[in-house]
Amino acid sequence: MNSGTVKWQRGVFVAAFIIPTFLFFCVFTIYPVIQALYYSFFDWSGMSQHKTFVGFDNFKQMFQDPIVWKSIGNDYFLVVGKVIGIMIIATFFAVALTRFNFKFAGFFRSIFFIPNVISVVVIGVLWNFIYNPQIGFLNAFLSLFTSEKVSITWLGFTSHTIWMLLPPAIWAGIGFYMILIIAAIQNIPSALYEASDLEGANQWQQFRTITVPLVWEQIKVSIIHITMTTLNGSFIIVWIMTEGGPDNSTQVMGSYMYQMAFRQFHFGFGATIGVLILVLSLITTVFLQRLMRQETVELG
Amino acid sequence: MMNKRKFTAVSIAVLLVVMLLAACSSKKNDATSSPSASDSPAATTSASPSPSASGSAPASADAGTKLTGDFEIQYFVGGYGDKWWKKVIADFQAANPDLHVIESGGPKINDQMKPRWIGGNPPDFIYIDGAGINDRQMVEDGQLEDLTDWFKTAKNIDGDMISDILAQQPQQFSGKIFNIPLVLNSWGVFWDKALFKEKGWTEPTDFKTFMDTSDKIKASGMTPFIHTGKYPYYINAGILFPAIVSANNNDFSILQDMAANKVEAFKSPAVMAGLNKIVQLRDKGFIDKASIQISHTDSQMLFLQHKDAFIPNGLWLPNEMSKDIPGGFDFGFIPSVTQEPGGKIIANTSTATVAVAKNAKNKDAAKAFLQFIFSKAQASQWAELSGAPSNIKGDISSSNAPNFVKDAARFLTDPNTVVIPSITFNADVQKVMEDSIDALTISKITPDEWVKRVTAAAAKVK
Repeated sequence: MNSGTVKWQRGVFVAAFIIPTFLFFCVFTIYPVIQALYYSFFDWSGMSQHKTFVGFDNFKQMFQDPIVWKSIGNDYFLVVGKVIGIMIIATFFAVALTRFNFKFAGFFRSIFFIPNVISVVVIGVLWNFIYNPQIGFLNAFLSLFTSEKVSITWLGFTSHTIWMLLPPAIWAGIGFYMILIIAAIQNIPSALYEASDLEGANQWQQFRTITVPLVWEQIKVSIIHITMTTLNGSFIIVWIMTEGGPDNSTQVMGSYMYQMAFRQFHFGFGATIGVLILVLSLITTVFLQRLMRQETVELG
Repeated sequence: MMNKRKFTAVSIAVLLVVMLLAACSSKKNDATSSPSASDSPAATTSASPSPSASGSAPASADAGTKLTGDFEIQYFVGGYGDKWWKKVIADFQAANPDLHVIESGGPKINDQMKPRWIGGNPPDFIYIDGAGINDRQMVEDGQLEDLTDWFKTAKNIDGDMISDILAQQPQQFSGKIFNIPLVLNSWGVFWDKALFKEKGWTEPTDFKTFMDTSDKIKASGMTPFIHTGKYPYYINAGILFPAIVSANNNDFSILQDMAANKVEAFKSPAVMAGLNKIVQLRDKGFIDKASIQISHTDSQMLFLQHKDAFIPNGLWLPNEMSKDIPGGFDFGFIPSVTQEPGGKIIANTSTATVAVAKNAKNKDAAKAFLQFIFSKAQASQWAELSGAPSNIKGDISSSNAPNFVKDAARFLTDPNTVVIPSITFNADVQKVMEDSIDALTISKITPDEWVKRVTAAAAKVK
């Protein structure tokens, strides 16, 4: 048996896995990205046979458009709000369900995971009902404590309406990251906690010095994942709940891209916003990776 | 041992490749073997119709020429359904047996046919309605056949001039005609007659009675007015535009100038007067606060539940909500409430048009089809089968059309009504008008700022 053949066979075996995947990746990911980049240089309605090459005009226009800046602001507001909200609550739940050995931990784990099983579209519709000023749950609930009926238009403030999209977004996200962190906590050898118990460490000290460092990898992954999915996917909840309104106050990059490409017939401009989303996602992810490059504690 | 492992490895590799290739190829096969299925999923070739269907149809669209070849019709299926299309296409097929009529219809047809329009291979004839399609955009993209000259002399199959029998003339784009309105629907304001009778409220006939009645309604604890802030074109089309026309001495050319992005038109005092009427509604607390964040369906539900007394909407409302209308509810309707006492009623129409593709392969058939559908017989047939008034003048009082359709048709042909022909605004300007009217109703901006924003948008388009 000569080693050349073995090497060649190994090569074939590896290639059999990589090449088809790579081809699919090229066709379904690389090609559309290049297409979007290509269209961003054209003035095209998205309906016509004719496209006009306009160079960087779309990009110039984009940076002069105040709604684009507002969308970027709203997107990052959602990123920051979701990262803080989801990570605090998910970590809290994960610790509570693993470290405090109480009876119904399994039950609550399932309950907290339910929003993740529901489609975002359903969540949007559900929260629309909660926020409905006339027949909504929130106003009805608040009315219990006031003499007059509460009639706050939760999704219709003159500004800052984007704040109201944060609770559904956080609510929808907690379960998944909670499970991720629970799995990580369960991998921590109990000997570490037992030893710290003997040394007299309390729960908070254990959390700070044992749990967090040992689940840091999962927290890091979660934060990056929340950031990316928000920048790419906040469109859905915005579109279902407000369509970017009132008066563009809840517009995010994804919803504005849709609005421009398919409602206002500026497909080229829409593609330009798509490129912006891609670039910002990349920059943000790289930045976060570097920011959180804390030494990972490996369990020997 | 080594051989066995090697054999396993190689065979797994081969298997994987074969499986993937198989998956690929089957996909490819699907895509190539039935291009028509993916391009026009609802495409059906109309079967040769039964003689009875063609009984009333005239012998041929045009006695001189015989229509042959393929003829493809794209129609969107929405609130008006597809019963009329099925019927009229079957009749047309019967009248032209040598023509091969292809129907491409459905609720998603606009998206499904898009690749063909982009690819320069559109259907011959299109009914422009529904989401994702816009006649002004199609004209700007050069996708529609210029019908200006044809329309000047076109006669229908009965020998009538088509321009004579249209209730509403086609919209002109820089003086040219590309599409012809098929439907004649109207925006306006609804209330519940039964409730008004019970409470002793006066039904509105002009802005004064509207405001007076609203005062009484508010005093009774009910909110007078609701609209959908999520889709602000309802309040624009139902209140603002008629108000602007009333303030402009019933001259609707101001709206046409606005649609042509003439900046001065937006600065006219008539626009300001219209906006100020909205401000009056707002400042008197007549507008339901919930409006700003709710969809049209939600606003319609609240209206039907008597949470609010008035709603700006289109004549399709009773049909759209037919399943949710409470017993005893009796729709009252007026096309406009913003005219001064004694002033003419302004009916802002809503339409859907038909057109011929510029790249159509069978333009003769498409034009013959236009001559076929714009005939008097179709006025009743459209009203009966689609539940909406047709744009063809014709007495439908003896037809089986629903009563409110007959009433509406009467309203729209009344000499005391100013009928605004359907107008399509530039999509960018329309969006800014919608955002700004929302902002105005929640006191975020003043009417001056509304004008400033919209003027800037119109100037940018130009």
